[in-house]
Amino acid sequence: MLGLRAFVLRWSSLALLVAAWELAVVTRVADPQFVPALHDVARALLDLAFEKDLWEGLAVSTMRALVGLALGTAGGVLIGTLMATSARANAFLGPLVATTYSLPKASLVPLFLLWFGVGNTTNILTVFLATLLPVVVGTYQGVKSVPQVLVWSARALGTSPLAIVLRVQIPGALLPILTGVRVALGFSWVLTLSAEMIAAKTGIGKLIFVYGESGAYAYMFAGIGMILAVAYAADRLLVAITARLLHWNDGIAAHREGTA
Amino acid sequence: MTPQAVKSAPMPPSPWRNGISQAMCEALVRILRFLLPLALVVAGWAMLSASGLVRPIFLPSPLEVARQLAVLQEEGEILGPLWTSIYRAFAGLVLAVVVGVLAGLAMARSRLAYWGLDPLVALGFPAPKIAFMPIFILWFGIEDLSKILLVAFTCVFPLIVATWQGAIAVPRNFIWSARAMGTSEPQLLRKVIFPGTLVTIMSGIRVAVPVALITAFTAEMVAGGGGLGGQLMYAQRMLQTPTVFVYIVLMLLTGVVFDQVLLALRHRLVPWLAEDEL
Amino acid sequence: MQGVKAPLIRIAGVSKHYRSRGSRVTALAQVDLDIARGEFVSIVGPSGCGKSTLLYILGGFLRADEGAIEIRGRGIEGPGIDRGVVFQEYALFPWLTVEQNIAYGLVNAGMERRQRDETVRHYVSLIGLQGFEQRYPRELSGGMRQRVAIARTLACEPDILLLDEPLGALDALTRETMQDELLRLWQGTGKTVLMVTHDVNEAVFLSQRVVVMSKRPGRIVDNFAIDLDRSRPREELMVSDAYNEMRNRVWLAVRREAMAAAA
Repeated sequence: MLGLRAFVLRWSSLALLVAAWELAVVTRVADPQFVPALHDVARALLDLAFEKDLWEGLAVSTMRALVGLALGTAGGVLIGTLMATSARANAFLGPLVATTYSLPKASLVPLFLLWFGVGNTTNILTVFLATLLPVVVGTYQGVKSVPQVLVWSARALGTSPLAIVLRVQIPGALLPILTGVRVALGFSWVLTLSAEMIAAKTGIGKLIFVYGESGAYAYMFAGIGMILAVAYAADRLLVAITARLLHWNDGIAAHREGTA
Repeated sequence: MTPQAVKSAPMPPSPWRNGISQAMCEALVRILRFLLPLALVVAGWAMLSASGLVRPIFLPSPLEVARQLAVLQEEGEILGPLWTSIYRAFAGLVLAVVVGVLAGLAMARSRLAYWGLDPLVALGFPAPKIAFMPIFILWFGIEDLSKILLVAFTCVFPLIVATWQGAIAVPRNFIWSARAMGTSEPQLLRKVIFPGTLVTIMSGIRVAVPVALITAFTAEMVAGGGGLGGQLMYAQRMLQTPTVFVYIVLMLLTGVVFDQVLLALRHRLVPWLAEDEL
Repeated sequence: MQGVKAPLIRIAGVSKHYRSRGSRVTALAQVDLDIARGEFVSIVGPSGCGKSTLLYILGGFLRADEGAIEIRGRGIEGPGIDRGVVFQEYALFPWLTVEQNIAYGLVNAGMERRQRDETVRHYVSLIGLQGFEQRYPRELSGGMRQRVAIARTLACEPDILLLDEPLGALDALTRETMQDELLRLWQGTGKTVLMVTHDVNEAVFLSQRVVVMSKRPGRIVDNFAIDLDRSRPREELMVSDAYNEMRNRVWLAVRREAMAAAA
């Protein structure tokens, strides 16, 4: 009961805000041409729920985001571990990572369009590159921060060099790696949507833009609401998985509360 | 080790005439080491395009890109769009800092403000803000305003959280002792909490600068309306690949330059802080 | 000295240098030390004297720049399970339970499941942590963690134990209890032990021999044979004249080095 009360209290201000939105449109304080009323958005959402457009768009976009994220995570852990364990790899890759970190990865979309045309390759490649770097940085810092004595203990207990990486350094770096993955997950939605808005035939980003251009604003708001909900759910899911994977970790409580 | 031991330790013999030239040499070596991998990548690119395996329309040579940069500069297509993008990014950032710091302080000091803002922050922080672009276009058009506001909207959440976390971390006995000396709430905010929060605000801004630039560029690519991003999309539609490369490289350089500027500023402004504290 | 037996460990003329900000620091200078099979030897000395460095070289984590180290007449090629190492802190894998930590080296050695479970059970009861098998290190007290670390090392049955300030992070009371346990373990198993510590009482109480190292560059300046009747209980032993005389001699030697380091 206490949990429910806290929940209601926490989100009540948002409910008030939403109610104010509806009231403002209904009373014509806000121009319904620019701000669709909440009940219109709800009706649009109900409409869309029975059409395949929305579900198809969401499925395609989610696939692009998650496949790109999976590839970026795999590549990021690999490269980050390499950089943290080999000085030579770090000397070569470090400057490349530092230089390309603040490049907007969406800027590569025109280039990929040229090379691969409109479609999944362009979208997924963009997401891959955007998600790669936060995971590289997280893994690098994580592996570097694994205490030396842990690695030494493992070696003294007869662990092979490859097993040191897999059984000691990566588990020890799991919290920073997953923090990097969380940042990367955020990037994956941004880049999926950007790439779709720039050039795509399918996906929720494209759909939202089509609704916007045809003046179907209630539908546009409904589509935006849906993708935001999916992105939010994915973030909460990742936080839950992280907490589960890292139940042994001292710092996990802080991680769970951080930026709730 | 005691201070005496440090003093009595002999200086390491230096092969250079004095310490300064040695430090400069070391810095030079560091810069060259940093540039070497980048040079290798450019060399690989040049070799690939010279090999004739890839058609120039897909991959122009670095030389051609450099030539195109000169042409575009001549036509005034470089600094103008660059300035537009930077203006949008920083106008948005300033707005985000003002709103974010005020909101963060309010959340830390007032239950009502916390109640009102916490759900928004919880939902807004992880949201892909670019999804709001169509709404911002609808409300604010495709010129500067929609982009500035999208940048502000993107940067404001990390700034609110940074400020709030900094403000609630101000030690309670600072606040109590200030209270005991008869400090009023506005004074308390200005004299105790804001200075105590400054470090986290600074680090929040540092994180927000590249985000602001990236958001401005991306918004321009999505919505058009000039700037480097708009120009980039226009060049792509005209299949002017060398121009596409020029703008991508420019975006890259803008990011790197601002990163370096921030790094230098950080050392100037807060020299007493250790590397990892900012 | 221990001339009757051939030494198990022979350290001859070992030096180690570090490079720190461009200048060369000598951590160890010409260290000679022989340790016989079954002996318990402690190294004491001012902090930063390189005593841990010597232990890390024996462990195979660092290489000596000069000199030779032989164990059973052979040189050292990296770490090996013949030498078990216990570090001061954080040496348990935090993502493994007590049981999994103790089993870690056994899995590497390819021990079959049933025998492994049995060995783990044996060591859990040896350190008195029955009921804590499924706990993670963060759920344990400092003393319990260190006991698990020691059990994990013992489970691999190394001939040689290298202890790097193994009780340094514990409070005084737990520390004494752990010293008693360490003594009991050593007496029960007959392992060869080399322990680094900065606690003179601990060294004298536990060891057959205490080696004093000088300030950096570390070299061995004193070598005390400790001949005490360790079958007596701690309260009796620690107030005895024999113990106190020995303790004072070692303490004075260490203090001389510490003062020299501070000057």
